[in-house]
Amino acid sequence: MPKSVQLIGRILLYALVFLILFGYLFPLFWQFSTSLKHLDEVFRGLTLIPAKPMWENYRTAWSNFNVGKYLLNTVIVACAITLGQVISCSMAGYGFARLRFPGRDAIFYLYLGTMMIPSTVTLIPAYIIVLELGLVDSLQGLILPFVFGNALGTFLVRQYLMSIPNDLEDAAKIDGAGYFTIWTRVMLPMSKPALATTAVMTLVAQWNSLVWPLIVIQSDRWKVLSVGLADFRLFRNVQWNTMMAAVVMATLPMIIILFLAQRFFIQGIQFSGMNK
Amino acid sequence: MWRKRTTRQEALAGYLFIAPNLIGFLVFQLIPIIAAVVLSFTAWDLINDPKWVGLANYKALLRDPVFKLSLKKTFQFVIINVPLQSALALIIAVLLNQNIRLQNLLRTLFIVPWVSMSVAVGLTWTWIFNSQFGIINQILLKFGMQRIPWLASQDWALPSVIIVNVWQYLGFHIIVFLTGLQLIPREITEAAIVDGASAWTRFWRITIPLIGPILFYDLIVNMIGTFQIFDLPYAMTGGGPGNATRVYNLYLYQKGFQFLRMGEATAMAVILFLLIAVTSGLFFRIIGRRINYDLT
Repeated sequence: MPKSVQLIGRILLYALVFLILFGYLFPLFWQFSTSLKHLDEVFRGLTLIPAKPMWENYRTAWSNFNVGKYLLNTVIVACAITLGQVISCSMAGYGFARLRFPGRDAIFYLYLGTMMIPSTVTLIPAYIIVLELGLVDSLQGLILPFVFGNALGTFLVRQYLMSIPNDLEDAAKIDGAGYFTIWTRVMLPMSKPALATTAVMTLVAQWNSLVWPLIVIQSDRWKVLSVGLADFRLFRNVQWNTMMAAVVMATLPMIIILFLAQRFFIQGIQFSGMNK
Repeated sequence: MWRKRTTRQEALAGYLFIAPNLIGFLVFQLIPIIAAVVLSFTAWDLINDPKWVGLANYKALLRDPVFKLSLKKTFQFVIINVPLQSALALIIAVLLNQNIRLQNLLRTLFIVPWVSMSVAVGLTWTWIFNSQFGIINQILLKFGMQRIPWLASQDWALPSVIIVNVWQYLGFHIIVFLTGLQLIPREITEAAIVDGASAWTRFWRITIPLIGPILFYDLIVNMIGTFQIFDLPYAMTGGGPGNATRVYNLYLYQKGFQFLRMGEATAMAVILFLLIAVTSGLFFRIIGRRINYDLT
């Protein structure tokens, strides 16, 4: 092929990719743009960029629609679960990958076997357990079922630890280190990439989680953002600008974390979308 | 790799290290799975004691027209969503795989909707789809076309929610496919180019067979996930108008937590599990066998 034809091909390819990307992200741009508009402008049609950005909309959403309160609950729940899962999956991953005990493989296969069972199946019994424990309508009720870790995270840490050599562990053993020291000094630092992946995947899942908080929480003071936002649908006269401001505040934290930890998100997707 | 001697101490340490994880697994995964099956044979409103009713819940569901409708809506959702999402994701992944620069930035930008809260995404699109002031209908009017009643109409509501679902998770599947494409050895593609194979031929003869296993796995995972769709229809339509978007899990949630029929709701969960198992099983039989797992 002549050079010029190739060059035109490249230019067209880039144009196509960026056109797709622009179209793909436009709804997010429109969301942000609406969040800064005056209500008159919202209903006047198609201005792409607001005439005068109304940052007050964010203040209104924060106080009038309780975004501040819900956000705090979401942060507490998502962070507590993520922290718990990282510790628990790291411990269990070490146990399954490096320690020998009777029934180890049977237990691990049981984990794998239930991974494919839809979470819908466990929903109602898990609710009844939380109800019996007296934790309905509390943040503890939101945290408890997830804080002990999950099969995918354990699986990920285990695979990661099995793929790296034993040298450091052996050296630590020769120095007389116990299992706990080996875990904190060798396993935790070594499995950082796997733990970071587990952490970001858990954080996003929990930040965005809807069904569980919907059934566990009844009173307004313990509502998380997803449930609080979903209530918008029930309002008669929707103020689209304030609603979009609330939406931006609900999504921005995860988008920022996505950009800070891109690598781990990509790994998480590759792992959950491709492991066989 | 292992030391030959298994000490009691090591076994004890092993159990202690998996203990937190195992307790969580037993209490919130394994026991609930077993309990679900048992509960599905009882009538329970959470207030009075559960009563054993045998197969009554299952029989009641088979007579329930809304149950059948929700099943139909969910199948429609799966059948449109899964192939559409995979096809679009594959096309974009192939484009991104043509030595495009800024690969990392582009991948990240494509998963922004995926990290966004489904409820927030749903509300954003409710505004975009708004019949009177929404941007799509405004543009349609500008070009002299008719407004589309999107979420307000029985016919359009389900396709509208599917569009949003395809949009939100497209980036996830792009990443999966792109990873698969990057595993294809460059020499194979180059050899095909030397032999004069067109881009079209290369796509069907090299790309598709070589990412077959990944494509297949992605379809299964996507299908299982889509069968359980809840957040978007809940946030966008609440199942309406009428029952136009009353997908399976939405109806299950209502049965359990609005009508307080825990037995029927868990029976629905058990049926969903069986449906997913059977559908994935069929999928494995029909397509899984024809896939060559050796090449990637």
